[in-house]
Amino acid sequence: MPHPPIVLANASASYRGRTVFSGIDLTIRAGERVALLGRSGAGKSTLIGLIHGQAARDIALVPQAAALVRTLSVFHNVYMGRLDRRSTLHNLRTLVRPAKADVEAVRGVLARVDLGEALWARAGELSGGQQQRVSVARALYDGRPILLADEPVSALDRRQGAAILERLTEHHATVIVALHDVPLALAQTNRIVVLDAGGIVLDAPARDLDAGTLARFYEAAA
Amino acid sequence: MLARRAALSLLAALPWSLGPARAEGATKPPLVFTGIPDQDESRLVERFGKVATYLEAKLGVPVRYIPVKNYPAAVTAFTNGQVQLAWFGGFTGVQARKAVPGARAIAQGAEDAAFKTYLIANARTGLGSSKEFPKEAAGKTFTFGARASTSGRLMPEHFIRQAFPGKAPEQVFSRVGFSGDHSRTIQLVQSGAFEVGAVDYTVWDLDSKAGKVEPSAVKVIWESPPYPDYQWTVRGEVEATYGAGFTERLRQALTGIDDPAILEPFGRTRFIPVDDAAYAPLVEVGRSTGLLD
Amino acid sequence: MSTVLAHKPLGYRAASAGFALAAFAALALADLHVASLDPWADLRRLLAGLMRPDFASVLPLSIAYTIAFAVLGVGLGAGAGFLLAIPFARSRAVRLFCASLRAVHELFWALLLMQIFGLSATTGLLAIALPYAGICAKVFSEIIEEADLAALRVLPPGTGAVSAFLYARLPDVAANLRHYTLYRFECGLRSTLVLGFIGLPTMGFHLESAFRQGRYGEAAALLAVFYGLIGTRRLWVRPATLPFLAVASLLVLPATVGTTDIGAGLARFLTHSIVPAPLREGALADPATWTGLWAWFAPILTGQIVPGALQTLVLAQIALVVTALGALVLFPLTARRFTGPLGRPLGRILLVVVRSTPEYMLAYLLLQLLGPSMLPTILALAIHNAGIVGYLMGRHADGLAYRLDAPKGLNLYAYETLPRLYGQFLAYLLYRWELILREGAILGLLGVATLGFYVDAAISELRIDVAVVLIAATVILTLAVEALSRRLRARLRIATLPTRLSRPLTDAGEPA
Repeated sequence: MPHPPIVLANASASYRGRTVFSGIDLTIRAGERVALLGRSGAGKSTLIGLIHGQAARDIALVPQAAALVRTLSVFHNVYMGRLDRRSTLHNLRTLVRPAKADVEAVRGVLARVDLGEALWARAGELSGGQQQRVSVARALYDGRPILLADEPVSALDRRQGAAILERLTEHHATVIVALHDVPLALAQTNRIVVLDAGGIVLDAPARDLDAGTLARFYEAAA
Repeated sequence: MLARRAALSLLAALPWSLGPARAEGATKPPLVFTGIPDQDESRLVERFGKVATYLEAKLGVPVRYIPVKNYPAAVTAFTNGQVQLAWFGGFTGVQARKAVPGARAIAQGAEDAAFKTYLIANARTGLGSSKEFPKEAAGKTFTFGARASTSGRLMPEHFIRQAFPGKAPEQVFSRVGFSGDHSRTIQLVQSGAFEVGAVDYTVWDLDSKAGKVEPSAVKVIWESPPYPDYQWTVRGEVEATYGAGFTERLRQALTGIDDPAILEPFGRTRFIPVDDAAYAPLVEVGRSTGLLD
Repeated sequence: MSTVLAHKPLGYRAASAGFALAAFAALALADLHVASLDPWADLRRLLAGLMRPDFASVLPLSIAYTIAFAVLGVGLGAGAGFLLAIPFARSRAVRLFCASLRAVHELFWALLLMQIFGLSATTGLLAIALPYAGICAKVFSEIIEEADLAALRVLPPGTGAVSAFLYARLPDVAANLRHYTLYRFECGLRSTLVLGFIGLPTMGFHLESAFRQGRYGEAAALLAVFYGLIGTRRLWVRPATLPFLAVASLLVLPATVGTTDIGAGLARFLTHSIVPAPLREGALADPATWTGLWAWFAPILTGQIVPGALQTLVLAQIALVVTALGALVLFPLTARRFTGPLGRPLGRILLVVVRSTPEYMLAYLLLQLLGPSMLPTILALAIHNAGIVGYLMGRHADGLAYRLDAPKGLNLYAYETLPRLYGQFLAYLLYRWELILREGAILGLLGVATLGFYVDAAISELRIDVAVVLIAATVILTLAVEALSRRLRARLRIATLPTRLSRPLTDAGEPA
């Protein structure tokens, strides 16, 4: 599914009067797999917000906090990824008595994040890692071409995180993901963008980089 | 506003807001009456229950009593037409007849032509009884009965204003309360919660007989000049509902009561005919005290 | 997340000190004279009656009526309140309308509605439903506003408004709305007692009679049954039992004796009763009408509204601070961590008694003990409200997640519990402030000339026009207090807004 490139030119962002960053130039083309790295507070989430603002119609979002409706079931939370593509009447009916086809579709998506058995559990009762995977499942079910994810696997162990990230990259044409795990980023993406001190300090293909090169951006914080 | 209007119309549509009376359509609708809650509730139910039975037999129409627990509620039930007949105090009767054109007073108790208020005082005030209004009560705490009571509010306020020209009761006494009814006025003065109070003389006599008054703690210090009080007031449209001359039949039925069992709970010996003119002095007093426009 | 607030946040300490100082200032204006009395004869009878409750005298039907009025009144009120809550935050007109509904005490609503609907179940239901709609609209709107918006923000763009509300907002707030409505039902039970004052046959009818006439055995039995209803409310008022309760309530409502012409009553009420007297007959073009109107209004303003508002504020301020102190002492008595398995049921019973004993009874008892002054009024209001706030705080305290090695006793109270509940505590108090303003109205017995005292007088004199002016003044006072409390809440950040992490930053950040 082709989509126009995302272009940020000399973008700046301030949050309640405080400048987070300024003078950002970034272009992301269809088919790219981009990892956003940087220390916490570097502005990754703010940049994700800017990108979302640019192309909301093409983006399936995995926010940093899982942003689930805790009182609804896992099924309904995942189903919410496609609320816009169904009639209000169908949505209403699904709230009371879901259609079999929807249930099967959602079950399939949940199986991809290893949560198939939790279909009818309340989202609020799940562990942090499970909630994060429901949030990922919602984006998978949404199915828009660009996946924009803010630390989608932070609550999972590295092996599980890698598996989930792999599924995400399989199903979306373009992937932009903020991460803090450098080896994971190197393994799962083909372009690394590092943010620091309110600007982009590195933007290079993943294959040209290794963990050692990237480590210095984190060590500076210590 | 919309939600409220919707709720109103919804409620109005529900059957019980129309009441059972209309269901009896074929026969005459019941004559509904009430009385002001001037004293002990159990006595009210007793006295009005007997009156309902008596009137029903005498008039040949269904008669119902509804208890009302609040003076303005009693007058409102009369002004909005829910009740056609009411046993009002002097002042509530004046209020009701003013609000309902065509309503008239038809009968009063023999004692009501010359009704009295007692001022009572707690013994510890040292106030003694006197012929003249006890001006030394000024500065004490004072309680009326209900706000719209004739013997517990209107007339005592009138006498207070006469004794202290140009002063309202709040300026005469250190504190003015409204006990709500005569029996409670007696209780509050007896305990000393208020030092002085104004009370219906018939209730004082009934409560004294019932042993509720402790003579060493509370006593009568002044007896007011006479004034007209309680009366039966009827709405004008009963003539249309129950036939011409119904008002007169009702008056005769009431004045014809000679059963002591009915009269005793009222504290009356009999009922006598009366008309609106007898209450003209109360209208004057109501205007001068500012309780009536 | 760093946030820069428009106002410097106010500390709890400063806010509490401000309230206490205001109460001290109010004390100087309040009449707190204590008279020496001899109330023991009556009180002995009272105690003897309480010892021997006369359960045979309690009419089962009056219990059914009490429940029916509460269920339907609160149901209607909460339903209307929910609809009003949706535009509440955006529309000043809706807020004004709701404040007007709330500012009028149930008793006055009942008396006003009687003009139209007579002494009927309709009057009783609306007398509860109207003020409750105003209260529920406000609280529901706060609950909806304070809901977690995270899920709403990640909905796919283009999602319909109805679907968005049903999926991302309602589920999150539904539990809160449900809890609040069920709690309101308890308040509704208390409100039905007041309906007895005008003659509707609830338990309040019999309780007031029994108490007034010194039939204390009967009063004790009625109170005991009422405490039972309140204390077991959470067992029998549940989402599952509600349909049954609603249907049964509709069937059991008392039939009306006699009929009233609702149309004529409404017309008379709107075109005559509430129209200021000088305007009823005078020609609107005639300047004399307007001088007449001023001559009518000026004494109401200077003789009733101004002194009444002052007394009301003085009373409410002192009662509020006493309520606060009372609630701080009372709430641990119902909280799991502070009471043993034996103490907790006792604490619960105590709080049921404290919060469910009608204020007019407390006021009468205190009047007998202390004599007429503002003091019995303050104490009656404070005891009642401290019971309510204490109960709500106790429930919050039980909901706190303490760490495993949390301290015990006073240390737990001072370091773990109170600091976490204090914001909620202040929020409740700000809310009770408004209610205390209103409740002072029915304590005319004590001769404290609050605004409600004058409303009572105007209604007794059948001057509905004057009553409406006074009620309008109460509405303005209520709105002012509400505005102040809203400002305070914002500055205290009591609203503990859930973190809105996934908020798209496009509206906050500006791409250059």
